[in-house]
Amino acid sequence: MGWLIILIKELTDMIRDRRTIFMMVVMPLVVIPLLATTAIKLTQSQIEKAKDKELRVAVIGETAAPELFKRLSKEENFFLVTMTNADSARAMTAEQTLDGVVIIPQDFSEFVEGDKQATIRLIFKSSESLNAARRRIEAIIDQYDREIVNERIGRLQLDETLFDAIAIEREDVASTEEKFAENAGGFLPYIFIIFGFMGSIYPALDLGAGEKERGTLETILSSPASRFDIVMGKFLVVVLFSIATAFLAMLGVLIMVYQFLPTIETNITQTVMDMLGPRRIFIIMSMVLPVSAFFAAVALAISIFARSFKEAQSMMAPLNIIIILPAMIGMLPGFKLSAVTAAIPILNLSLATKAILGGSADPILIAEVYLSLFFLAGVSIYGCVKWFNREETLFRS
Amino acid sequence: MIQVGHLSKDFRLTRRQRREHGPQYKNAKTIRAVDDVSFECKAGRVFGLIGPNGAGKTTTLRIISTMLKPSHGSVTVAGYDTLKQPQEVRRHIGFMTAQTALYDRLTPTEMVQYIADLYGMEMNHFEERREKIFSMLDMQNFSDRRIARLSSGMKQKTSIARTIIHDPDVVVFDEPTTGLDVMTARRIIELIRACREEGKTVIFSTHQMSEVKLLCDDLAIIHEGRLYFNGSRDQFEGQMKEATYEDEFVRLVEEA
Repeated sequence: MGWLIILIKELTDMIRDRRTIFMMVVMPLVVIPLLATTAIKLTQSQIEKAKDKELRVAVIGETAAPELFKRLSKEENFFLVTMTNADSARAMTAEQTLDGVVIIPQDFSEFVEGDKQATIRLIFKSSESLNAARRRIEAIIDQYDREIVNERIGRLQLDETLFDAIAIEREDVASTEEKFAENAGGFLPYIFIIFGFMGSIYPALDLGAGEKERGTLETILSSPASRFDIVMGKFLVVVLFSIATAFLAMLGVLIMVYQFLPTIETNITQTVMDMLGPRRIFIIMSMVLPVSAFFAAVALAISIFARSFKEAQSMMAPLNIIIILPAMIGMLPGFKLSAVTAAIPILNLSLATKAILGGSADPILIAEVYLSLFFLAGVSIYGCVKWFNREETLFRS
Repeated sequence: MIQVGHLSKDFRLTRRQRREHGPQYKNAKTIRAVDDVSFECKAGRVFGLIGPNGAGKTTTLRIISTMLKPSHGSVTVAGYDTLKQPQEVRRHIGFMTAQTALYDRLTPTEMVQYIADLYGMEMNHFEERREKIFSMLDMQNFSDRRIARLSSGMKQKTSIARTIIHDPDVVVFDEPTTGLDVMTARRIIELIRACREEGKTVIFSTHQMSEVKLLCDDLAIIHEGRLYFNGSRDQFEGQMKEATYEDEFVRLVEEA
């Protein structure tokens, strides 16, 4: 039972490490909801601000379209000026002295009254203020345009359908659940994959390279515990930390969701609550387990190979990208679980989570995901034990 | 008792190491760290493995402790072969280096308990040994404090306690006093003497000749993996051509 002795000791040791506990508990439970809350609040306030912001709009040739000018000047938070020179107005928009310029041609009325199409030129800077100037000016012009067209239809006694030959009636058969899973379902696995990996790094660093740095590696290697016991004890502790961190990250997302849902529609609230029920969470976590085992085996192998804590840390960094990439691909809409993607580790976890959340998971594909993930975990554990038995790994000089 | 017979150890060279070791290793796959070394350490005697840095001392001691496997030759410890019965060998040895090799977040009691558990010690025996060692080293007043908060002297005591908690027949010290202050080094010397008095087999490596005079009953001089002298201290003194141990050591190595 050497592995159990080592597991208990390493667990006690790691739980007393503030840095590890911070990464495991505080980061996912506090930092994720806090970051997300801040991001959402900030975006909302930016949108509000853009709506209420006073925009400086210049009009050139306003006498040609008095009705339009009247409508523009009635708009709230519009500071309207009249100008004559288009070039200087353009330059002022570029340097943001103006938010937008409306150029009305001299013959505007002629065209409108002659039942023809008049052209208004709009100058704006799309890189500023969420494009608010363009959107708000266009809304006013569109409204005016519709009224003119309606007047023409009435006057000429035409049928409205003349201008709208084909009408579309939309019928979406996707459930709210499926829509939600497709659009936001990739976010959850992204979070727990990243955190599962992060959760494995610190314990792995400490249990491998840390052991070398303290000189304790020789103490345990010269004890009767077999190499297998030593690796297994350490490996299981890293897995525990990895999966606990992933789980807490998931909890962090749930806290965030529940905190924000009341501000969204109630039927979505109910859907999300159903989606993230305990049964589905359990299935998802059962897939996180082999991924955590993979993370733990790789992180531990790197850590035990490194000569020092610092070396291990720098070796771990590129691994981040290898793990983030499939998780990010899984987050993109359009990617679905198939016979091929179900075999690609990490990506398959991400896509399977999406499918499970959407309630449309194919049991055969899910079985393939399990097979692929447990195979990967098995190979990486085997590799890690082999690796630990090499003299060149343990006593690298 | 430790018997080392015709022991050799080769290490594989990486490409970088080949470059660093100079032109003669340009096409070499391996480097020999220990070359046909034989000696015997007897119970109740202190055996000194003397040599400069890089002589092969640590490699030899790691093979004795089963951390490394010999490339050629054999080693038996307390009657067990290190290759065939490594577990049994490990059960009978205690290993110590100058590094205290402790876990900062454990207490001395927990540290010693961990090692005892790894050695499969029975609870009664463990508690008896712990009481004895803790009072011998005067450790009671800090035994439940985290190791990170202990002074270096306290850490050294804890390190001693964990080395001998399982009452090993054979104790291996790898340069145990290197870099230690006088007081701490003296405590290690006392420990080595105590081990001898208890009839244990003690092997220790050093490059300090003063310690040889102080401690060794038998000694071997090793340089670049090869033995240059192997015998008792009396024999060593008898064949000396130089006035001091240090000069004699240099002469032996240079003449070879």
